[in-house]
Amino acid sequence: MIDTWNQLLGGFATAATPINLLWAFIGCAVGTGVGVLPGLGPAVTVAMLLPITAQVEPTASMIFFAGIYYGAMYGGSTTSILLNTPGETGTMVTALEGFKMAKNGRAGAALATAAIGSFIAGTIATVLVTLFAPIVANFAVRLGPPEYFMLMLLAFTTVSAVLGKSTLRGMTALFIGLAIGLIGLDQITGQVRYTMGIPEFIDGIEVVLVAVGLFAVGETLYNALYEGRSVATLNRLNKVHMTGTEWRRSWPAWLRGTAIGFPFGTVPAGGSEIPTFLSYAVERKLSKHKEEFGTSGAIEGVAGPEAANNAAVTATLVPLLTLGIPTSVTAAILLSALQNYGIQAGPQLFQTSSALVWALIASLYIGNVMLLVLNLPLVGMWVKLLKIPKPHLYAGILIFATVGVYGMRQSAFDLFVMYGIGLLGVLMRRYDFPTAPVIVGMILGPLAEAQMRNALSIGEGKWGVFVERPMSAVLLAIVVGVLVLPRLMRLRKR
Amino acid sequence: MSDAYSPNRSHQTWIGAGTLVVAALLAAGATQIPSAAGYAGVGPNFLPWVVAAVLAVCGGLLLWHARSGGWRDVEAPSGAAGGDWPALAWVSAAVLANALLVTTIGFVLSCALCFALAVRGLRLCEGRPAGGIRQAFVDLLVGLAIAAPVFWMFTKLLAINLPGITASGWI
Repeated sequence: MIDTWNQLLGGFATAATPINLLWAFIGCAVGTGVGVLPGLGPAVTVAMLLPITAQVEPTASMIFFAGIYYGAMYGGSTTSILLNTPGETGTMVTALEGFKMAKNGRAGAALATAAIGSFIAGTIATVLVTLFAPIVANFAVRLGPPEYFMLMLLAFTTVSAVLGKSTLRGMTALFIGLAIGLIGLDQITGQVRYTMGIPEFIDGIEVVLVAVGLFAVGETLYNALYEGRSVATLNRLNKVHMTGTEWRRSWPAWLRGTAIGFPFGTVPAGGSEIPTFLSYAVERKLSKHKEEFGTSGAIEGVAGPEAANNAAVTATLVPLLTLGIPTSVTAAILLSALQNYGIQAGPQLFQTSSALVWALIASLYIGNVMLLVLNLPLVGMWVKLLKIPKPHLYAGILIFATVGVYGMRQSAFDLFVMYGIGLLGVLMRRYDFPTAPVIVGMILGPLAEAQMRNALSIGEGKWGVFVERPMSAVLLAIVVGVLVLPRLMRLRKR
Repeated sequence: MSDAYSPNRSHQTWIGAGTLVVAALLAAGATQIPSAAGYAGVGPNFLPWVVAAVLAVCGGLLLWHARSGGWRDVEAPSGAAGGDWPALAWVSAAVLANALLVTTIGFVLSCALCFALAVRGLRLCEGRPAGGIRQAFVDLLVGLAIAAPVFWMFTKLLAINLPGITASGWI
């Protein structure tokens, strides 16, 4: 405990240097901006900025990226409340009640409960990360390749089979991602795979390219093709302020949302969709003002899910830092940022790069305060971003896409591949394929393959190694359960 | 119900078939990879075969579902029912021209051109007039005004390599 406290203080000392504070601030500001802008999310923004990992030192860039990740959640709620097109999946629920509140002239209260709720949930979740991450890391040191492979299998299963509406389309997306991850050199033997004689493919396909292609270029092409006539109506912003009753109705919802969101973020069941919907359902059930839900907009329906969202997002750092397993798209891209530095995320991270980890955690506390200031008094400034005409916004995104993809390895060939991935993105969005499994698959795929082959080497080529070790067998049972149980429940319902 | 979805179902059939083709290509590629199994008993060609096999199953199921009543649990896509293909062509031209020209005419000019072409397509898809020569010139200037500061910020401040047309580092 004392140990954790000392390390956290050390982290604050690193994070509070002027240059790191500046990175945190820029990250929070950029994050809020992209969160507000429709069509850009934290994942694609971090991806576009990955080339800076070649120049900026790891602690600064991780603080910067974490600020973007966080900031986008704050900014995303502003858009869901004021505009009827939610940006991120996590803020979809906020749009349900928040947009109705804003329509009835209570935009200010909705924005206030979202920002303060995000701050409270983010801070509590950061305290929990501080307390639990070292414990999980200590435990995780004892895990071997079979257990890691099973954990990764669990992450694959949940991200593809549980989150989407269709297991089949989720699996298809995951295996497309795994196929992309296969291109290049095999990690263990150095064997060249699927390069088709193209020298650019030997180093594999950069995650920047796929993320930017799927999300930024795909989104732009989709908009040109289908969304031209869709009109978004902007609600009027009024004074950001909550009355006493609104405070009293908000705070229990914030706490419940945090309690629901945090556990979901820590388990490899990723994403903030499930906890936000769950929190919404809970608030709706417990509320004394049920008549406001879906009609004039209930403040609990904004406060709970917003808190759940931020708690879940913060909690994704636990599996990312302690196990090296990303449970959301942005976490996956953060993992590849660490890989660019040659830093292996996992339990050893707390020993080998403890300065970086604790500075990152300390910066989350600082970032939350910065974001509260950026989003409460200054919200009017961000709302102006929503006035950028759509053609200029999306055409501008293409310029940043070029920076990210070309800047990563100075290859114009990558820009052509990016266009191809963009077309794939249009197809996937049009025919309701989830895109998150593609990114998680391509980043986690090579790692999982290496763990699997190492595990089999330990077991001298016998697959029994995965069931003979108790931890690994338990994890395998969970994977099977996750796949089978929902189906059984559905069968029983009939 | 099935009538309204029939054009979609033929698309679904194509996507299922396309997935099968990808699976076949991956399998063909997997035959080229030596097994070199070593102690593990599985080598670099193991995962490629697994991926090819699972994608084949997925493709087969997608195809089968498409032929038997359409895909399950599909959420209707957002936006218009029909695609605005001329707008897509403009935006595609923007991205591809940029990919083609970025190393020869430099980041700033190439991205300004990309911006001007894309803005034109995106304006068309909103049903607004794309504008004449004058508008195209204005778009190009706006593109320059975005691309140039971006170029300076990333090359000067963050030392990321982006192509310039001159050696001065300013354009």
